[in-house]
Amino acid sequence: MDVVSVLRQLSEARGLPGYEDEVRACISGFYEPWADAVRTDSLGNLIALKKGTRPAETKARSIMLAAHMDEVGLMVSGFEKGFLRFTHMGGVDPRTILGQEVVVYGQRPLPGIIATHPPHVLPPEERNKVVSYEELFIDVGLPEEELKELVRVGDPIAMRREFIELAEGYVSGKAFDDRAGVASLLVCLEALQNLQHSWDVYVVATVQEEKGLKGATVGAYGIAPDIAIAVDVGFGRQPGVEEKESIVMDGGPAIAKGPNIHPVMHQTLVEVAKRYELKHQLEIIPGASGTDAWAIQVTREGIPSALLSIPLRYMHTSVETVCIRDIERTGRLMALFISQLDESFAEKLGLGEERWMPC
Amino acid sequence: MKELVKQLVETYGPAGQEGRVRALIEGIIRPYVDASRVDALGNLIALKRGSGGGKRLMIAAHMDEIGVVVTHIDKKGFARFGRVGGVQVQTMVGGRVLFGNGAVGVIGWEKWLQSRGVPAWEELFIDVGATSPDDSPVRVGDVGAFLRPFVDLGKRLVSKAMDDRIGCAVVIQALMEMKESPNDVYFVFTAQEELGTRGAVVSAFGVEPEVGIAVDVTHIGDTPEARPMAVSLGKGPAIKVMDAGMVVNPAVKQWMIDVAEKEGIPYQLEVLEFGGTDARSIQLSKAGVPAGCLSIPCRYVHSPSEMVDYEDVQGAVKLLRKLLESSPSFSS
Repeated sequence: MDVVSVLRQLSEARGLPGYEDEVRACISGFYEPWADAVRTDSLGNLIALKKGTRPAETKARSIMLAAHMDEVGLMVSGFEKGFLRFTHMGGVDPRTILGQEVVVYGQRPLPGIIATHPPHVLPPEERNKVVSYEELFIDVGLPEEELKELVRVGDPIAMRREFIELAEGYVSGKAFDDRAGVASLLVCLEALQNLQHSWDVYVVATVQEEKGLKGATVGAYGIAPDIAIAVDVGFGRQPGVEEKESIVMDGGPAIAKGPNIHPVMHQTLVEVAKRYELKHQLEIIPGASGTDAWAIQVTREGIPSALLSIPLRYMHTSVETVCIRDIERTGRLMALFISQLDESFAEKLGLGEERWMPC
Repeated sequence: MKELVKQLVETYGPAGQEGRVRALIEGIIRPYVDASRVDALGNLIALKRGSGGGKRLMIAAHMDEIGVVVTHIDKKGFARFGRVGGVQVQTMVGGRVLFGNGAVGVIGWEKWLQSRGVPAWEELFIDVGATSPDDSPVRVGDVGAFLRPFVDLGKRLVSKAMDDRIGCAVVIQALMEMKESPNDVYFVFTAQEELGTRGAVVSAFGVEPEVGIAVDVTHIGDTPEARPMAVSLGKGPAIKVMDAGMVVNPAVKQWMIDVAEKEGIPYQLEVLEFGGTDARSIQLSKAGVPAGCLSIPCRYVHSPSEMVDYEDVQGAVKLLRKLLESSPSFSS
């Protein structure tokens, strides 16, 4: 699998929260050669099942891998003199969108730009100010009447950005949060073709993570896995971001540790990475991880969960940047972890037979 | 239908104290449904069976309203209070509250006539006409609702608790008017929406709908200098696209639009940049439910004088009825 080519297609596909149809179709195509079955649930999560080869007389066990396919975006909220007013879906940083290209998904996709004032007409005190959403408009070039025929309040708007390759295996584009994670799931699925594993594997591209972890919430309920790993992006080191708040680019997946993460899951992932000499790092998350792992952990009676973070710079902009090697390492780590899962691991997590201690 | 609205809005029912509203609704809808029950959180769940071949629909409108709760009574009999739901501080001073036992209190402010600013919550108190804790008609923990009568302005209706008794009224009216339907429809009058859509969480879990629709109020952008929003009073019920709590399933949104257009019902599309409804909890129930929301545009939401347009209300009834009678054919 050419990870650069896969990520390019994933990145350039549309997939706003609740409107993931295009990217879902794209991922579905990638799943097919490697999965035993694929389904879409009622919120739109795309779930691939790869069955394990289970020794006779052993209990069926499963693991859920989750990465979200939705991206942050915008939505039409009104009209003003032939321009569009808009709001955001998920946290788009208003500092980064002035003068950007977008696609407005009206009756047909309309290219547009986020309007800005020429600096010449701004009073000096305005020039250094951040512009808020209320002051921003989108210009698609159409006259007012035609605009109103083609566009309605509530139509989604995606950032438009071509994927580019930088030097040394670095790439840049939109929606790497969390299509980089989805790409790592595909790397894992491919690697599992050549590995023995006894647990069933549910590979889930989740929806609406950016709108409150919704896909993971219902996906985990429907699948009811024994354990889960979420893959998301983490803050890659860059000037102006503190060391303790960031992870190293090209340093491998960050294996998260903290109350959202089952300690045995964390420990085992670290051991597997060490055993196979896979580059990895540690990320301490003292509370809510803000990722799908946060929702999955408390689904049903509780699901032991882990989180792998792919280092990424410039999060929630359309120039998110990752190192391809980190995606490959993340996928391989998951595949190797899955291949060593057995009933003794389930026992270690307390997933064995329910045992009541007499008092 | 105005008489139904008046009855509903004037009934006492802050979040967690929905008993009287529930009894009122139960009495009205009994002849029109096949079965009804009350669940552990106090949701009223009524089933009207369909003729077959349709879906299991859940229609939710919340019975509860915002209010206040007594937290302390001082030596002179003044009560301090906390908020039940999203009460707005700038609507409080000089207002009256009614408690479940019939006691009435006036909301006072320590800095009355001393300050022109907005009060801080801890500077407010309720004067129930008592002189000491001993002769106070209220006790710590008693819950009060705004006391404000229903007013019919002709084209527009004003009252406390339009949020969401107007939704209850729309659902009841649609239930009474609806004709043959292929769908099994669960009419759920939910509890504790104002405390975080809690009634919808458990009722959706119990009902297991295939499609869910909440009926609730939404904000507008048509008053002087209002925060921009493309919803006005009098331009028809609103079909929600997104709010802070959810993105409406596009197929559900389209189903609602298609029915409105087929029936020639004026409607508006709603993008609300804050707030949420029961629909967000229905959507996340169990393995997920396609959910949407039919909104009634409302001015001054969460004040004691919430205003709706009567034509919008009637439009909402018609749209809901036509939705219930149709077959939602989208695949979930």
